[in-house]
Parts: sequence; structure tokens; C-alpha cells
Amino acid sequence: MRLAYYPGCVSKSSGREMDISTKAVCSALGITLEELEDWNCCGATHVSNELTAVGLAVRNISQTDLPIMTSCSICYSNLRSALQRMDDPNIKSRVNDILGKEHEGAKIRHALDVILEVLQKKNSDFLVVSLKDLKVAPYYGCLMTRPKGVDSPEFPTIMEKLIKILNATPMEFRLKTFCCGGPIFMPQQEVAEDLAFMILSEAKNTEAEIIVTLCPLCHFMLDAKQKTLEIKRGDNIGLPVLYITQLVGIALGLGPMELGLELNSVSPFDIVERIYERHTKG
Amino acid sequence: MPIGVYICHCGLNIAGVLDIEKLSSYAEKLPDVVIARDIPFTCSDLGQEQIQKDIDEYKLDRVVVAACSPRLHEPTFRRAIAKAGLNPYMLEMANIREQCSWVHMEQPAMATQKAQDLIRMAVAKAALLKPLESETMPVSQEVLVIGGGVTGIQASLDLADAGFHIYLVERRPTIGGFMALLTDVFPTNDCSICVLAPKMSDVFNHPEITLITYAEILSIDGSVGNFTVTGIKKARYVDEKFCRGCINDCASVCPVEVPSEYDFGIGKRKAIYVPYPQAVPLVACVDTKSCIGCARCVEACSADAVKFEQEPQDFKFTVGAIIVATGWQAFDAARKEEYGFGRYKDVITTLQLERLLNSAGPTKGDVVRPSTGQIPQSIAFLQCVGSRDAAIGNIYCSRICCMATLKNAQLVKEKYPDTDITVYYLDIRAGGEGYEEYYIRAQKLGINFVHARISRIEEVKGNLYMNYEDPDTGRFKRVSYDLAVLSIGLEPDQGAEVIGNILGLARRSDRFFEIAHPKMRPVEAHIDGVFIAGCASGPKEIQTSIAQGGAAAAKAIKLLQKGEINLEPTGAYVNQDYCTQCKLCVDVCPKRAIILKSPAYVDEAACNGCGSCAAACPMDAIGMRLYSDEQIMAEVKAATEEKSEFPLIVAFLCNWCSYGAADLAGVSRIQYPTNSRNIRVMCSGRVDPIFIMEALRYGADGVLIAGCRLGECHYVKGNYQALQRINVLKGVMEKVGINSNRIKIVWCAASESEKFAKELKEFVEELKLIGPIGTEIRADKKRVLAP
Repeated sequence: MRLAYYPGCVSKSSGREMDISTKAVCSALGITLEELEDWNCCGATHVSNELTAVGLAVRNISQTDLPIMTSCSICYSNLRSALQRMDDPNIKSRVNDILGKEHEGAKIRHALDVILEVLQKKNSDFLVVSLKDLKVAPYYGCLMTRPKGVDSPEFPTIMEKLIKILNATPMEFRLKTFCCGGPIFMPQQEVAEDLAFMILSEAKNTEAEIIVTLCPLCHFMLDAKQKTLEIKRGDNIGLPVLYITQLVGIALGLGPMELGLELNSVSPFDIVERIYERHTKG
Repeated sequence: MPIGVYICHCGLNIAGVLDIEKLSSYAEKLPDVVIARDIPFTCSDLGQEQIQKDIDEYKLDRVVVAACSPRLHEPTFRRAIAKAGLNPYMLEMANIREQCSWVHMEQPAMATQKAQDLIRMAVAKAALLKPLESETMPVSQEVLVIGGGVTGIQASLDLADAGFHIYLVERRPTIGGFMALLTDVFPTNDCSICVLAPKMSDVFNHPEITLITYAEILSIDGSVGNFTVTGIKKARYVDEKFCRGCINDCASVCPVEVPSEYDFGIGKRKAIYVPYPQAVPLVACVDTKSCIGCARCVEACSADAVKFEQEPQDFKFTVGAIIVATGWQAFDAARKEEYGFGRYKDVITTLQLERLLNSAGPTKGDVVRPSTGQIPQSIAFLQCVGSRDAAIGNIYCSRICCMATLKNAQLVKEKYPDTDITVYYLDIRAGGEGYEEYYIRAQKLGINFVHARISRIEEVKGNLYMNYEDPDTGRFKRVSYDLAVLSIGLEPDQGAEVIGNILGLARRSDRFFEIAHPKMRPVEAHIDGVFIAGCASGPKEIQTSIAQGGAAAAKAIKLLQKGEINLEPTGAYVNQDYCTQCKLCVDVCPKRAIILKSPAYVDEAACNGCGSCAAACPMDAIGMRLYSDEQIMAEVKAATEEKSEFPLIVAFLCNWCSYGAADLAGVSRIQYPTNSRNIRVMCSGRVDPIFIMEALRYGADGVLIAGCRLGECHYVKGNYQALQRINVLKGVMEKVGINSNRIKIVWCAASESEKFAKELKEFVEELKLIGPIGTEIRADKKRVLAP
């Protein structure tokens, strides 16, 4: 499978583990990624200006004829919204004018859905390490399923499908689509922290061993902020938060360094040890 | 062809502004005119007698009356000339009052000039009139009613009692619809089935009603008065003649148990079943989807009624009218995933609660939590689930859910006074006789009402949590309940789509069937002889559905009782030599009156004479008997023959709205410029682009087309067709170098006289800037020729 790859800004900065693990997993699954040569912001930084947001997104999209894959939910949502907005002839003509070329629609895919497709076809070929008995809290956040058309926006189940294929156990996680607090972190830090802490505590209540995320902002709120929240609230969480590509990578037998696991704030090494132990015991 | 012209003074209404003498001496000199008279009141007996005397004396064979609007007195003068032996269609009127003297009171000279033009146009058209004969057609005295809910039942009984024979076709094994499944009903809280069951058995026993249940309609051909209906009666694998409806013998041995659709999934039934004890006909039915074919019921039936070899039966009959009472279906609550219906057992719908409350329901009237079987201590009702919700595509209010919830909350509270009940609502809509009092009664019983937007329902450790925003304070709240009831909305029945397609019924954007006029014709369809009643045309409570069933019956009686109907001789006809069977006419016809045989053929009983087909036909193979191409072209030519002012506008006004608006402008004495020469057409869709091109070629400076407001066309889509044709024509004009702003298309309702006057004034100003017709071509030529 050949796909164009759109990394997004986080991949090159605070979320390098997302980029590293995405590339490693795709390579292991025999997916050829061609990174867009001259990519720019997906439009997320300019959501308040429709024309700029769509223009930025479409500038990326029009660089290739291949389906474009990204592992960031924010980019995924923005690129897809842009394509939907381009159905409006008025927006379309203005964007085409700005970009100076005619845009044709390309397909946008999330790494989650690409990996699921490959593994659904022939999982036994690829799965090296069994994640048996691993309890996973799937956390979707808000943007993966919006705009409508991927999975249910209110009650998605696509991540559970993948977790089951990996032989792990998805926990019933009622806050899986709650807001992580990220979008309001700047103006309303208290409220944002309340939300993130609520999600972490609830994940802990489900007895999950790890949380899996799809979005670098969710990951930031749940992983990078976890220690601060524990101190502020005087409560121990201690839940590693992995990108879905990192979890898949472990099951594919990729080494921790190949998946950038050392870059996660809450160290996942203990749980990785446990996974290997369980695997060797059978 | 001797023509008589009669110019009415209308007291001073016309004569006070126009120079009648001048008009009359002008008319005298027009071709074919043998006599022109002015009469103080032409519509009076004296006036009419004068016309009749002249017809006799001067051997007139056509008459022009220049007076008020034809919308007022055309029938009067048609009757008058018919009395004198002329064909009533040999009359033409020039509207010199509403559209001339009353709207140009300050400009008598220009108004007189305009009146001369109008008379000349009328005389030109009159010369081309042809005698038309009304025909009558015998009609069937039988009526098809589709759908056996309370609406269809009421319509059938009313018609049958009036002596018509009814075929009542129902898809399910029993009639009764939703009403038969409800518990007590508002606003009287009487038992639903107790009031409906007698009507159901009346239907069964009525000698004039042929009840066909468990059946589908396959085709409906023909038109008003004579529809041929075919369909199929599915096999129920139980002989209706032998089954005694005892149900115990066969159902008790049946090993298959499935959720019952008559309990909305909370109760169970067997694979062989009677829907409910009051079902009509009281005959068992085998559900082939779940039956495993063990045949234990065949052995068990002491009446030998179960017959696995039974075959479906075809039926065919002819009816004069059709009543569509196809009803509704419930919104699928699982689509609102945030409320967890289908995931959480204790989230149920209104309809399921109706069954729980029903003493004949699965719990014999006990309201219990499905998860535990215990009586709930607290219940939340959520309003507007699937209604007023753009996210799921239903922006309309379902109208009955507020009252249904008020009723159910009261029933629960009366039965279990300690239960804490809260209704979460956006607005409580209790409009109707006694409804607001009913709402107050619910409040007095101690039911809580909370203004809220529910964001989601969660189940945590067996408890339901309602998460909502209080829109008045913006605060987020979270409350626990034992049971949540989703007040689901009404959607059009999906199965009715087939009926809609067979009949060619129009649909509104809410997907319910559209009635002929949203106010004035509440139970008529756009297709003659077809009536729509009950929830097929939108959500309605029981009493309104019954009223509509009765109203549809009355309309059908009015249509059929004489045994024959008059056919207006004003329809379209096909000149078979020219038809190339392109089917354009079939697509534009709002009445489905054109049938593509070879060549196309117009069913004159169904045709309403809008003329959109004649405008659409690329071969000019379709003609109109009245408002023919030749007659309209004669008017266009006459309007432009003497160019008495600039800019000169030829205006095509649709009979129902814009011509009405122009008349109303007259009645309201709204003054506007004299520049337009109005031509009446039945629909803006009648305006063939060739009329416009010819008007400009003959020297008109602009052409105005005025139709009903979009979406309000008397012929459904005629104005959209006009708009489409004019947009294309404008493109062509730009290509050949004529300013396309010389054509203006406007929409005014019959009440929008101010708008009509304003649009016309603006058009005159626009045309003054553009200049006389041809200016742009001459300018263009100069540019080309310049070195």
C-alpha cells in the first residue's frame, strides 16, 4: 500500500513519538509512506477564519494524488472539514483563486483506520507479541469522528475493534469522547485540569493499565500534565498514555526505542515489561 | 368573424380616468370589429342584454369586454354570451380597471393610451378564439383508502355510510394503527382501544367496506374518476374463513418466541400470532421470518385453519378517488447515540412506556425498570428526541410529544404517587382546546418541569445519569434516575414512499406528503382525485387525524356523488405528427397527466391546463386549447404594434398570484407607471422563451415574467421551470449581445400588490438606463466598425 503522509506540526516538536511510531508501524506493515514535500499547517491554527483554514488544508491536499494519511486527529479533522467545505462552490472558487490551481478531492485517512484495514485482512502475519490480558482504556477525544462520516461521533467503537485484534481487552470507558480540556487550557486552566483529571480518574476506575489516544492534544493533557495533576490533586494516577501507533508497534514486536516510548512523560516501561512477561509465559 | 367590443364605464371607476369616447372610436376601427359600444355598467342586466341583442343583430361570433378583471366577471360574461347562443369561450376581456384606470389615476392620457393597447391586444386574441365544449365523464362510485389507522378508518366509515363502496387496504395483519396500541389518550384520558375498537369492528362488519389486510398496493393507473388499482394480499398461512381467532391453540404450541412489534420490542410474541386481542380481522398470522416450519400449529388448530400451502392473492379494482392515510413511523431513538437507547436497558421510548402502562401490555400495566423488573423511584422524560433537531435532519416539531409526555407523566404519577418525575424540555407546546389546562394539571400533580438541553445519558454501575445544561444559567448539571423515557418524534412512514411514487405525490422538505395548499386545501393532494389525511401529511394528534379522515371523505363525496365530473376543455393536447417522445413534457407535468404512449398522450381528466408542457416541448408538438401559442403571440404582437411609450414592457402574469397581485394593486389604488402591457397566463411555467424573444424582436424594451413565490406555485413547480428557462435564455441573450437585464422575473403572492408595483417601477427605471431595444447592438456594431 502506498500512501502520502501528512505529519502535522506536533510530529516534529512535542509529539515526536507519534511520528516515530507511525513510521515504524507502517514500515512493519508494508505500507509505503511518501511524506508531502512542502507541507504546511493543516489549518488548525486559523480555524476562526474559514477561508484561511480551508486554504491551508487544501494547499496540502493538492500536493498529491495519493490518499493522504495522518496520525493526528486534529489534522485529520481539519483536512476532512476542508474537503467538505470545498463542496460549497463559493468557497471552492475563492480557494482555487488563492492557490492558483484547480483542486480535485483526495481521500484523507487516519493511521488508525489504515492500520485496522491491514490487520483485519491478515493479522496473524504481523502480530508477534500477544497483548493478552492487557486492559486498555480507549480514549477518542472529540476530533477523530468529526466531521461526521467516520464512526459514530457520540459512541465510536473503531478503536475497540483494533484493540481486540491485538488480543488486548478494551475497557468500557464512559468518558471516551469527553473533552480532554486541551482546547480551553489557555483561557480556563482550572476547568481544563478538572476535565483531564476526571478522565484520568475514570480511566483508573475502569482498572485499565494504559490509556490509548489518537490526538497529540489529548495526549498532552493526559500524559504530560499527569504528574502536575497528581501533585495538585494529591492523588496518584500513574497511567501510561500511549498513542495507538505505539500500542500497535509493541504488538508488532517493534522495540521501545523504535516507538519513541522513552519520549512519553509517564514512563510506559513497567507496563511494557509486564507485556513481555505475560507473552513469554503464554 | 364579426367582433363586438364593449367598453365599460364602471360608473366613474373607469370613465373618471380614461377617455371612454376615444377608446370606443378607436376600438371601432380595429380589424373585424363591427360594433363598439360604451356601457355605464356592462355587468348589469342592461349591459348583458345589450351584448345579447348585438350578438343577434350583428351576428357577432366573438365578444371583447373591456372592463374589470376577468378574475371577477369572466364567468358572468361567459354565461351572458352563452345565453345568446355563443360558445362561452368566445369571450375575451381587457382589464382596464384594476390594471389601468385604478393604478394610473394621475396620468389619464397615458392610461387611455395603455387602455387602447389593452383593447387592441384583446381583439387580436379574440380573433383566434375557438369554441370549446365541456365534456362530462362518468366516475366510479368506489373509493380506495390506503392505511387502516384511525384516519383511514374514519374516512372509510364516513364514505361507506354515505353509500360509496370502499376498499380499505392495510399493510399489517390488522387495522387500528398506532392508536390501537396506546394506553389512555389525551386530553380526556380515556382508554384508546376502548374508543377505537367499536370503529374497527364497524369497518369489519360494514357491507360497503371491502377490508384487505396484510396487503401491498403494486400499481395505480388512470386519473380522477377512474383509477385502476392492483395489489397483492400476502399469505398469512391461516385461512381467514376458518380461523376463530382463539389464538391459544396455535400460539401455545409454537416454539419460536420473538420480540413483538406491537409491544415495540419490550414484549414477546410467537411466530404464529394475533397482534392483539382486539385485532381486526381477528385472524392469526404466521411470521415467515421467524417460523421454523415445524407445523405444530397445523396439528394443534382444531379448526384446521393453519394452511402452509396458502398462496398470495392478487387483487385489482377501479376507484373514482383515493385517500392516502399512510400515517407515520416512530423516530429510531438509537440514532441519538448520546442517549444510549439500545445500549442501556433502562432507557425506553414513549411508545414502550405506552405499552408498559397498557393493562393489555406485557407487564399488565406495571411500569417497571427493564433491567431489574422493579418499579422505578424516579423517571426522567426527555422531550424533542428526533424532533427540532437539525443534527439528525428533522427540524420540524412533532407536535404530539409534549402532550403525550404530559399524559404519561400524569398516568404514572396517579398510579405511583411517590415516584419522582421530571420532564426535561426545550419548550412545552400545549396548543389546543383544553391542552394548557392539561399542562397545569400535570404541574399541580407535582411533576417537575426543567428547561434543559440534555447532552447525554450515562449508565454508571446500574444507575442512569442525565447530563444537561441549564440554558437559563449556562450551568452543567448531572442527576441520577431509575428510568429515562425518550419522547420520540414522528417521521413519515417509509413504506409510504412507494405509494407516493406510484401516485406521484409531492413531498415537503420534512419528507411528509405535501398538500395542495398549506392552508386552504388541507386534505387535497396535487393530483386530482387524491386526498391526503392524518399523519401522512405531517404529525397530528388523534382528534385532528379523525377530522382530516372525515374531511377527506367529504371531499371525495363532493367529487363523486353526481356520478360524473365535468372536464374543463382548457387542457393541453398533443399534435401526434410532431412528437418525438423526448419525455420532457412527462417530466414537467405536475399532474402526471401526460402518458408516454407512442406518441405522448394527455389525459384531459387529469390536466389542469397550466401549459408548462407546451413551453417545454422542443418540437411545439403540445398545444393548449385556451391560451394557445397563437393567441399569446397575437397579444404580444398587438402590444408592440403601436409603440406609444418608452420603455414598453410586455408582462406575463400568472393567473393565481401575480395577476392577482396586480388586481389587488388596483383595488388598493397603488399607483405605478403605465409602461406595462399585461398578458394573463395560467402559470409562469407557460411562458415559452419564444414569446419573450418575439416580444423583444417586435420592439418591446423589456419583458417581465411574474409568478407565484417559489415553493407556492399553484402547479407545484411551474415557477421553478420558468426560472430555469429564463436563466438559460438570459445566457443566450448575453451571447448574442442583447442585455439580459431586459428580462426580469419576479415572484409575488396574490397579496403582494406593493411588491408588484415596486418591482415594476424599478424595472422601468432599469430599462431607462439600458435604453431602447437595440441600443446595445448598435453600440456594438459601432465598436466593431470603428477603425
